[in-house]
Amino acid sequence: MKKTVLILLTAATLWGYGDGVVYWAPHGCDAGKKSASKHGGHGKGESTMFSLMNLEGNTSAHLILPDLSEKPLSFKANTVMLPKPSMGGYYAMVAKGYDTNSTYSAIRYLSQQGRPSKVSPTKLTALPKTNLEIVPDPLYREHDRYTATKAYRFLLHFQGKPLANTTVTLETHDTPAQTYTTDQAGAFSITLPNDFKNVQVGRSENKPSEFLLSTEHHDGEHLYKSSLTMPYSLNPNDYWQSQSYGAGAIFIGFLGGIFLYRRTKKGIKHG
Amino acid sequence: MDKLLTVTALRRVIQLTAFVFFVYGATIFTTFYTGDKLTQNLPALSCAYDQSGGDFCALIPLQHQMDHRVSTLFTQNAGVMEALMGTLITMGTVAVLILILNKAFCGWLCPLGFFQETITMIGTKLGLTQLGSLSRETVTKIRPIKWFIFLFLVLMLPLLTGIGFLGHEWGNPYCSICPSRIMTTAMTGDMSQVYISQASWGYFTLSLIADLLFGLMIALSLFVRQPFCRICPILPMQTLFKKIGLLRLVKNGNSHCDSCSSCVKACPMDIFEIQKHAINENITHSDCTLCGRCVEFCPHDGVMNVKYGPFTILTSSKVSFKKRTKIDKCWKG
Repeated sequence: MKKTVLILLTAATLWGYGDGVVYWAPHGCDAGKKSASKHGGHGKGESTMFSLMNLEGNTSAHLILPDLSEKPLSFKANTVMLPKPSMGGYYAMVAKGYDTNSTYSAIRYLSQQGRPSKVSPTKLTALPKTNLEIVPDPLYREHDRYTATKAYRFLLHFQGKPLANTTVTLETHDTPAQTYTTDQAGAFSITLPNDFKNVQVGRSENKPSEFLLSTEHHDGEHLYKSSLTMPYSLNPNDYWQSQSYGAGAIFIGFLGGIFLYRRTKKGIKHG
Repeated sequence: MDKLLTVTALRRVIQLTAFVFFVYGATIFTTFYTGDKLTQNLPALSCAYDQSGGDFCALIPLQHQMDHRVSTLFTQNAGVMEALMGTLITMGTVAVLILILNKAFCGWLCPLGFFQETITMIGTKLGLTQLGSLSRETVTKIRPIKWFIFLFLVLMLPLLTGIGFLGHEWGNPYCSICPSRIMTTAMTGDMSQVYISQASWGYFTLSLIADLLFGLMIALSLFVRQPFCRICPILPMQTLFKKIGLLRLVKNGNSHCDSCSSCVKACPMDIFEIQKHAINENITHSDCTLCGRCVEFCPHDGVMNVKYGPFTILTSSKVSFKKRTKIDKCWKG
């Protein structure tokens, strides 16, 4: 028993963010620009270089554009450079690979500015991209961003159908991994952790962080693995925005109105 | 049942339906995503911060265009069409919507308008003394505020931000103080818009004004009709196109009009000009919300009319005046 606990503890200590998972991450020289957190959703400051971490052989990647057309992405080592966006909206980066007994995939969505595609983002997320797929339900909205301490819902699909009772792992750089189990509709909800360090006042002063959702599913002898990575930003209401002061200010405004009412009432009485 | 069939009753039903659509519509009619909203340029205060909403108001794209696009005329020597195309599309969409419904977006569809009117109804039922009409002096003093807000908070400050004279907090200053942002998000259970920001003096000032204004609006709505509508920057934007609106208020006055003033008393925006003598004249004022109350409360046959193009869709009459006055007395107890 002691030996098992020791092995588990050692494994947990050595196990880092994304170990054993193929996932997309902004390239080291291009990651986490502060400007990306300044005005989320505009595509400004977002990375254009991405690395496929833990890349193995037989892997291909492509970009799905907002109009649902596809463009192949070519690797230089494990890195891809995105083409200049031809239209505005959500793009999906998809990587697929396989070996004898397993298939793995990695997905990442990003938002770019440009001419509207006139295709609903719901079609991009609904489009089956890989055999096993973690689908944002919904993706963060344009001009918005994934934000710490907020809850978000996802769906797990296998071959286009909901996959129930399956474990999905959430990892961030500074919080221990948490697991979630999908319900009968293949849905699960996560709350992004508030694990930002050295926080500066002002949204534009803080780099976004990354979260990774990963899962696997056995279909007979074959193992399917999939991941979804996205950036997330800190929540100003956890730091430099006070909601209790806000409620207090509303109350003061209300009292001001009541004061005016009393003055007006006197005025009406005295003609 | 016929006794309850009034323009105001019909308006309440439409307002409630519109409120549900504009505040919760994404769950049924459109989707959560901005790109799927109905027009994204609504001439009414339905807020873009409400992620469940069916559509959002034209003021947020207008401020963003001033900040990010029109400013490039000065900062990047951008082409005129490139810099102005977004604004032209927004204003063009607003013009088409105004052509269809004119200022009825305020009186019949605006979620914030309905919210204020609901609070006024609550105030009446609570027995609070209602301030019937504001004085001419007060109305005259208040009127320029909406133009100031439109010119400075919606157009100038975002433009100066884009050029680089002001910090990022002034990129959408109107949204930062708009009570609709707090109201619509709160109505969906999202209280994240109630805050005081300490990020900078600019953010602090705007967030403080927003919260004070929201509290003040609620309290004032208990005894004053539509307090925020009087300074709403949607009105100036609508005014730019009101001449092309098919829906309009037309007066075909008679000699009784100078002494009666029932229409002015009924008007929730206290537009005293509608009392003036007019023969078959479009009297849709900049402040008018086309609510139709002046028509309901006019005791003279055919004097006040709401017309859609060449068709008269509502006209004043002695019979409806008597009925409406009776209901009003009954409601106010």
